[in-house]
This record gives sequence, C-alpha cells and structure tokens, in this order.
Amino acid sequence: MDNTVHSQDAMEWALAPMQQQRWQLAAERWATLRAAHGQVADVWVQAAICHRQLGDWNTAEELLTEAIRRFEANPNAWLELVALYRAKGANEQARTYLNKTLERFPHQLAVMMSAAEQAMLDDAFDEADALNARTRDLYSNEASAWCQYAEISMRRMAWSQALLRWAEVRARFPDMPAGYERAAEAAEAQGHVKQARRLKLAREYGLEWLASFDRPDLASDHIAPPRRRNAAQFVELVWVKACFNLKSEASQNSLRYFWWVLDPLLYMSVFYLVFGVMLHRGGGGDFIVYLLTGLVPFQWFAKTVQQSSNAIFAGRGLMNQVHISPLFFPLVGIMQNAGKQMPVFLLLIGFLIFYGLHPTWHWIALLPIIVLQLVLMSVIGCFLALLVPFARDLNNLIPTGIQFMLFCSGVFYTVDTIPEKWQTLFFSNPMASLLYQYRLVLMDRQWPDWSGMGWILLGCSIGGIALSWFYKRVESDLPRVVGQ
Amino acid sequence: MNGAPAGSEVIISLKDVGVRYRQQGGRFKKPGYYQAFEGLNLDIYRGETLGIIGRNGAGKSTLLRLIAGIIKPDTGRFINHGVTVSLLSLAAGFDADLSGVDNAIISGMLLGYRRQQIVARLNDIREFSELGSFMDQPVKTYSSGMRSRLGFAVAMYMTPDVLLLDEILSVGDADFKKKAEAEMMKKLHSDQTVLLVSHSEEQVNRVCDRKIELTSSSLT
Repeated sequence: MDNTVHSQDAMEWALAPMQQQRWQLAAERWATLRAAHGQVADVWVQAAICHRQLGDWNTAEELLTEAIRRFEANPNAWLELVALYRAKGANEQARTYLNKTLERFPHQLAVMMSAAEQAMLDDAFDEADALNARTRDLYSNEASAWCQYAEISMRRMAWSQALLRWAEVRARFPDMPAGYERAAEAAEAQGHVKQARRLKLAREYGLEWLASFDRPDLASDHIAPPRRRNAAQFVELVWVKACFNLKSEASQNSLRYFWWVLDPLLYMSVFYLVFGVMLHRGGGGDFIVYLLTGLVPFQWFAKTVQQSSNAIFAGRGLMNQVHISPLFFPLVGIMQNAGKQMPVFLLLIGFLIFYGLHPTWHWIALLPIIVLQLVLMSVIGCFLALLVPFARDLNNLIPTGIQFMLFCSGVFYTVDTIPEKWQTLFFSNPMASLLYQYRLVLMDRQWPDWSGMGWILLGCSIGGIALSWFYKRVESDLPRVVGQ
Repeated sequence: MNGAPAGSEVIISLKDVGVRYRQQGGRFKKPGYYQAFEGLNLDIYRGETLGIIGRNGAGKSTLLRLIAGIIKPDTGRFINHGVTVSLLSLAAGFDADLSGVDNAIISGMLLGYRRQQIVARLNDIREFSELGSFMDQPVKTYSSGMRSRLGFAVAMYMTPDVLLLDEILSVGDADFKKKAEAEMMKKLHSDQTVLLVSHSEEQVNRVCDRKIELTSSSLT
C-alpha cells in the first residue's frame, strides 16, 4: 500500500514538467524513476512520450519495445508506438501496428477509439463509424466514445449530422463542454451564427432553454402588438384606465364607492342649510333649486378641467416609456370624472323630486345636455392639457380661470339680472349657455334651446378637429417637451 | 462582429439623424442646446441582434426612444419600413392601489395588447411571476422584488417585430433573476430583431451579432 502511495507521488513528480511541456526535464525524471519503479508500465510509456516530443524517435521506440515485452496485457505501450509511427510520418507502419493492437485488444476502449481515429485520418469514415458504433455498444456510458461519434461527422464536414450527434452527446452528458462548443462550431460552419451563439449560451442556461427554441408553440406563446393602436383599441384603453383609476381612488378610502354619493350629498346639504333654511333666500326656496341645478354641472366642469389640464405633464413618465397618443392622458381624466359625476346627477334629480318638482318628459333632454357638456369639457380639457407642457406657468392660472368662469356662468344669479346689452356676451360663454339649458329643462319644464346647443356643438366640432390636428403635429415633440 | 448580414432585409433606417435637447433657457433667455447625437447613419436588418454601446450621456436611451417612435429626430430622416417596435419597459403605468391582476391588464394594454389578450395570459403571468394569490392583492403590499417580477412577467409576452432593450433586465431574487435572464436570452437569440443598449461591451460581444458604439456626438 505504502509502496503504491510512494509510486503515485513519484509519478506526479515526473508528470508535472510534462504538463509544462518541459520534455527534457520530464525525460530525465522518468529515467530516474525507471530504476526504482521499473515494474510500472506508465514509467516506460510516459518516458517514450517525452522522447517522442523531443524528436528522439529511436530512444522512444526502444523504451516502447521494452515496455511491450514486459507488460503484455497493457495496451498503452502499443498505442504509444502507433502514435510514434504517426509522428515519424510512417503512416503505413502505424496502420499495420494499430491493426495488430486491435487484434490483440479487441475490446479495449482506448484501442478501439484509436482505431477509429486512424480510420478518420485515412478519410475512411464509414469504417470509423463502424468502429465507433462498436465502441459505443460496449462503452455506452463513456463520454469520449460519444464525442468521437460526433467528431467523425465534424471531420467529414457533414455539419447537420454533426449537430444531431452533438445533440445526442448533450442529452447524455449535459456537463460535457464539447457538446456545446463543438456543436457551435458546426453551426457556425453552416453559417448559422445565431444558433451557434445559442449553443454556446446553452451551457449556462441549460438544455431546456435550448430546446425551447425548437418548440413551435413558442411563437404562439407570445402576442404581437399592432403597429399602431386603432381607434377601438384606444377607446378600450382609455375606458379601462378610467375604470381602474376610479377603482384605485375608491380603494384609498374605507367607505370606498360610497364617498361618490356622500361627498355631493354633503355639499348639497350645506347649500340647502345655508341658503334654503338659514337665509331663506328667494322666498319659497326656489333659489336653492336654482343654485344646485347650476352648481352640480359646474362642479363637474371645474373638477374635469382642473384634472385634465395637467394630465399630459403628469403623464410624462409613461409617455417616455411607451408609444402612446398624448390624448390618452386628458381623456382618461375626463372619463374618470364623468363616471364619478353620474351618481351626482341622480342625487340632484332625487333632491329636486324631494323638493317638490315633479318630473316631466322634458327631463329626458337632460341626456343630450350632459353629453354636450362632456364634449365641451373634452375639447377644453384636451386644449389646456396640450398648452400646459409648453407654457407651464399657465397651470397656476387654471384655478383662477375656473373661478372666473364660475362667476361668468350665472351659477349664483339669474339671467334676467344681466342688462339686455350684455346678454349676448353672457351667452357666448358656452358654460353659461349650458347651465341655462339645464335650468330650462329641470326648473321651467321646457325643451332646451336647441339652436343654442347647436352652436356649442359646432364650436366643439371645429375646436375638436383643430385640436386633433395639433395633437398629431406635436405628438412626437411632447415627450421631449415634458421630459425637460 | 461588424458587417451586416448579407442579403437580409433592412427594416429600419436612420439617415444622417440628429437629436438635440433644449437646455433650460426660460422664456426670456435664449435657450442652449445639448446635442445627444448627430449625423447618425444606421440600418437595422430583420432578425439581427444589434448591440449599442456607449458611455453615459452618449445618447443610447435617446436612440432607443427615437427608434420606438416616441420622439422624432431634429435633423435627418428616420424610416420605419412597416414594422412594430416596442421598448421593453417594466411596470409601465403601474398603480400601487390596484391588484396585481389589474396592473397586469393595464400595463399590458399600455404596451400594446388588447384587454382580452392579457386576460387570456393571466394564468401564465401568475405562474411565471410566482406571485400566486398575491396577484389579487394591491401592488402596494408587494416587495420591490415581487413588483418587478410582475412587471417582467407582463413584458415577457411582448413580441413586436423589433424589441428594444435598455440593458438586459434581470430582476428579483437570485432564483428569479436566473429565470428572467434565461428568458431575456431566449428573446435575444430567437429570430426576433432585438436592439440591446448596454454599457457593458463584454455583454454585447457575448450576445449580439453586430455592435455599434455611440460617442458623444457621432458614430464610429
């Protein structure tokens, strides 16, 4: 036992310079070792390798001949002799000797591999394949045999076949680097650069990763986005985002959606208490009805304009991340506010009935008025949203502007208190005109002034067309303008 | 490394393109300009993986936004020969008060999907992100790793003709990072056209067919 350990250490001592290709030193060390461990075959064979490397054929041959004589059952000396003949260029001799070796050791892995190797060198590929097949039969767990299987195809330059064989190598020996590296070389030789890189990376990411490229279902696993959103998709996006914003807003309070009713209910009650009960303005309480029929639509206007005017600027992060029309941002705000406003209108109607106003068919006209207000707010909101990024100071003026509109739209006073000569100017404010329509329908039980509404619609249409043109023009400038 | 794949089709061309940014000037002061890049000529071929390297401020991200169609050049011509282009951005448009499912839907829609396309993918997203029942919880309850896992799972199903990547995104904890990176690598090595912006030349060499380098004002 001790002796074995000792000889192991001694072998290391001589093998070390071989690894550094210091053949002369190695040869000297093997010579020293031969004196002490002459019974070990490797001492002879390794020494012969050193001498072969040094070009000292004769010494190498002598050593090997001696080794073959001493160790009849060891094929290594035989194989090294073949290698020596090959190195000398004596190919015929090498072949003859290899055949002898194969006859003597027909089932030795190294010998069989070497024979196939020789066949490859001789371009006798079918013979090489046959020899390799026998080797793989006998040594099916031997990685080197399988690598040789693929190498035969490589040598043949049958790249497709080589790729298949390397795939088999990878399947059996996933940790074998050659299965990836050499396969990549085959793919490269075929001009498949991409596949070659995949193969190299597969060593890191695994076989399953590599296999996923060949699965046809991979393509169907992904969905391609359209080149540009069409109108329907854009509307869907605005709608879903507005709904989600409402959901998100509601989730921030513990009373959730109830606030949408509670909030207007509270402020209506405040107005009722102050004007209806405490001040008793307008005699029988008509003033409180007048006030609320104006205030409810105006509040909607104020909140919508306030929110949408800053929408594009607020959406600058997203605008620089995804390709999206800037119209998206104000429109979402407008939709979101419209959603919140609907229960408020229902409350207002409830309040009016509670106050003793009986509904008539004229109240149906409320719908077109609400829709028109929505259109008007969209045009104004989108216009301001577009303006604010270019002139950011404008944002500070918006609350004042809304305040100004509040006083110009006749929320708190009736139209007949305005001198005749100012009335045309008063009604040129579309919000004033709209509030007037609300009251015509709700309080006076009349049909609205359709021509007045027609003018607003016309104005909105012209404004809308102009706006969409402007939006198209500045669409690609906006991300940079807001990003600065 | 260089040299276009012979015979393949040009899908996007940039001809003598320049982009500049206006620097803080104010209303009454003449503004200065910062030139991100100029005189840039570049053809992008179908199926290639093109790496763009350059130092900070060389205009890499600007170039991606230009190719994505988010911004337009100040000079020169940018021609898209009819392909879809998307910048892969994680967690685009996330709302912390909404559930993972809702965020997946809206983020996916912002990236270009139809609503039903994402709804059909929700199970895959749930599985890939490994979020399980957390998908129904508000995103504000997520850790930052969970949030990026969700963002990654949504973005992963994107397959535009040209995918733009600002660095290889690897997110989450060690295990998910590996999975995410493998998935990114899959995209980089499929037949999809990919543009990868990176500060790491080594990474670009490893994964790209071709590379260009942006220097502060021109292209070499």
